[in-house]
Amino acid sequence: MIAVHNAQQPRQTTSLTERVLLLIGAVFLVANFLALAVINNRWNFTHWTHMLVWLACAWVGHRWLNRSLPDRDPIIFPITMFLSGWGLVIIDRLAPGFADRQSLWLIAGTIALLLTACLPYGIRWLRTYRYILLFAGLLLLIATIILGRNPSGLSGAPQLWLGAGSIYFQPSEALKIILVGFLASYLAEQYPALRAEGLSSRQRILILSPRVFGPILLMWGISIVILIWQRDLGTAILFFVVFLILLYVASGSVWILLSGAVLIAVAGFAAYHLFSVVQLRVDIWLNPWPESDGRAYQIVQSLMAFAAGGIFGQGLGQGLPNYIPVVHSDFILAALAEEWGLLGIVSLIACIVTLVIRGLQIAITRHAQPFQAMLAVGLSMLIATQSILIMAGVLKLIPLTGVTLPFMSYGGSSLLITFIMVGILLRLSSTEDKTR
Amino acid sequence: MMLTREINRLVTAVFIIFGIITLAAAYWATIGPGTILEREDNPRLVEAEAAIRRGGIFDRSGDQLAISVVDENNRVTREYFYPETSSILGYSSLRYGVSGAESAYNPIIRGDNAEQSVVEQLLQNALHQPQVGSDIQLSLDLQIQQALQASMDGYVGAAVVLAVPSGEVLGLISLPTFDPNTLDQNWELLVASADKPFFNRVLQGQYQPGGTLETPLMALALATDSNLLASTTANATAPVTINDLTITCALRLPALELSLRDAYAFACPAPFVQLTQDLPEQSVQDSLRFFSTSNRVTLPGFESAPLNPPVNLPAGVEPHSLAEVALGQAQLTVTPLQMAVMAAGIINDGNAPQPRALLATRPPDASNWTPNQTTYPTIPFTTEQTARQLQDLMRNTVVNGAALNAARPGIDIGGHVTLSYSGDETQSWFIGFATLPGRRGIATAVIIENNDDPGLAADIGGTILAAAHDELIQAAR
Repeated sequence: MIAVHNAQQPRQTTSLTERVLLLIGAVFLVANFLALAVINNRWNFTHWTHMLVWLACAWVGHRWLNRSLPDRDPIIFPITMFLSGWGLVIIDRLAPGFADRQSLWLIAGTIALLLTACLPYGIRWLRTYRYILLFAGLLLLIATIILGRNPSGLSGAPQLWLGAGSIYFQPSEALKIILVGFLASYLAEQYPALRAEGLSSRQRILILSPRVFGPILLMWGISIVILIWQRDLGTAILFFVVFLILLYVASGSVWILLSGAVLIAVAGFAAYHLFSVVQLRVDIWLNPWPESDGRAYQIVQSLMAFAAGGIFGQGLGQGLPNYIPVVHSDFILAALAEEWGLLGIVSLIACIVTLVIRGLQIAITRHAQPFQAMLAVGLSMLIATQSILIMAGVLKLIPLTGVTLPFMSYGGSSLLITFIMVGILLRLSSTEDKTR
Repeated sequence: MMLTREINRLVTAVFIIFGIITLAAAYWATIGPGTILEREDNPRLVEAEAAIRRGGIFDRSGDQLAISVVDENNRVTREYFYPETSSILGYSSLRYGVSGAESAYNPIIRGDNAEQSVVEQLLQNALHQPQVGSDIQLSLDLQIQQALQASMDGYVGAAVVLAVPSGEVLGLISLPTFDPNTLDQNWELLVASADKPFFNRVLQGQYQPGGTLETPLMALALATDSNLLASTTANATAPVTINDLTITCALRLPALELSLRDAYAFACPAPFVQLTQDLPEQSVQDSLRFFSTSNRVTLPGFESAPLNPPVNLPAGVEPHSLAEVALGQAQLTVTPLQMAVMAAGIINDGNAPQPRALLATRPPDASNWTPNQTTYPTIPFTTEQTARQLQDLMRNTVVNGAALNAARPGIDIGGHVTLSYSGDETQSWFIGFATLPGRRGIATAVIIENNDDPGLAADIGGTILAAAHDELIQAAR
């Protein structure tokens, strides 16, 4: 299905393709910022700083990558910038106060992306110090459970943040990279045994059970801890699903997916009966209409936003997505649907799918290096799974899980970590990468 | 190739799952507008409603009564310049809906029926231009309406003035009323008020007609035998007792022998009880048919009183005697509007005009008014000859009878005052007319609740008729 990435792709073509794509994105964003200025009658400089920040990040990133990674994948960086810019437009339209912060996070994210992509030993560290990183990650998780807060200060809101003053960080975001790095490294080591000749897929599971079920239990344990102590359903599911995918890719056994699905079902059933937050989300997923002005208000308003958007959308600033609570975060997709319509949704999905496919393509080009391949699969599927969880949730295909839409939702930690993930993918896409 | 098979399967899964998400988005985008967007809890409906620029409301001489004001944030508020017109204008509130003329002509005022080219419609949708409604011109005359308000101020009751022969409503008031400018703030108080300010007494009030039915009975008597007019009744001023109710003349009079003509002038009940006994019962019932269901008079589009129920008495309940029916104390109830229409029928030579309130409409970008061409057939009340005789009887009532207070120098006024009884409450009625040059005229009905002074009703009636007379004379110049 996927052709092997052409390692000899001329560098000039990469640069040109990326430049053209960035330019297309820039035209779209300038037009949208202009529309926003006209609608809100805002012509002061601050309004344009967001656009200028984006242009600067895109230009600097492009130039830097040209110099440091000339034979990188030419699609990934433009899509990343385009989606984050689009997110910035929507946040500026929905909650202008948050757009300033998001711009700052965009700068931080771009710097982190470039450092990750260009530092020669970044990925190797992820492998060499995996136990230290895992330990640090678990410490962070424990710290969040004990000291976690919510920046909104609301009682009852999930306390998933660490920080003080006006700077907060969500450790579970950093844990994404650490866990995927750890698992990629672990599974790369186990890879020869998992793929030993002459074993049926069922035998592999049975014979290698301690090797397989060790990490399974670890991940399942982490997910359950996140679910029980933090009530963070989305992150718990995300970790577990991505881990199952990695194990499947490493072992080639469909049984892994099936047994994982059974575990999720069992955990889901138990969680439904044990945790009110899970019960609430499942109930309003099954039938939100009777409680449309109460507990199901958010999802019903979200569906109305999709309906109001129709095929062509109401136009930027013309819809009423602000009726959806915290629309600029978890429900940014609904705002996009209302103002850019189905066409906007299809464009967004096309971008995400392209990004994910390019990531998986990198994994195929790296098939001879299991760690790099597993890392590319893990990061791509993190982005894919997270997007699917929130998109399907907002569209009432599955219960809401409370994760952000990668690149677009308001949230510094999420943006920063996703950019680092993209930085790693860019690094992996380069044939000049020396990391082993 | 190791891994490749699994990754290719992942790619397939990614395509399938994102494909399903796209289909779900397409489902809500295409099915949604016809289904969930119609839900009452869709805030977009309220926003769309709030953005509508309702057309203005004008009186017959072009005075602005209500307009929609758009502020710098594109918020639209409805402004009413004369709260005393609220009995006919009603209100338009985002929270509480519409009533009165705002409700009766809502589609026109909202612009629902506006004719638009396809290009205009596309532009309006694409640019999110708000819907703009047409202006409407009511037959209401602001000066007459203000005279109504001034003369009825402080009383609980209703009054309506109609132009003859057009049937146009020149003034309409139901008291107590409300200020539509402060409706949202005062809603709870207004709804809880015992005097029911939202209840339009002119159109919805179901009052016992009482002595007002003497007029149709007189019409019957005149049509049957005009000599009856001179027939006398001994002790005509004696009160009539029905069940526990004692009905007297409109004025306290000593025991007198009166002709039917004079009995009508003083609204004495005894001669009319006698009359119903002298005439065939069926013809008495027929004479009241004007008020029965088939000829129910309403103001088109406005909320009106429910129709009089058919007389199906429960088992064991004695039917009302003919005397009770004739004295207006039986099942039959009437609205003040019906009474005004009857008075209009009398000066329109027996043919009662259907009341109407909409004179013209003006689309948003038009400069000229388009007259409302709707025509309604008149309702036969009596013959021309009988009508003219009734006019004379009513003039006599104003000159020599109980409606003396309605007389105004230099104006040809006829009228009739009576009392009616609902439970422990007494209402005083005045129905009357004033003539204008060119076979035109004005008809009115006034009712004052909790009042047993017909002189007051006559005085108010006279004031209203004089104000309307002067205003129309002046307008004609």
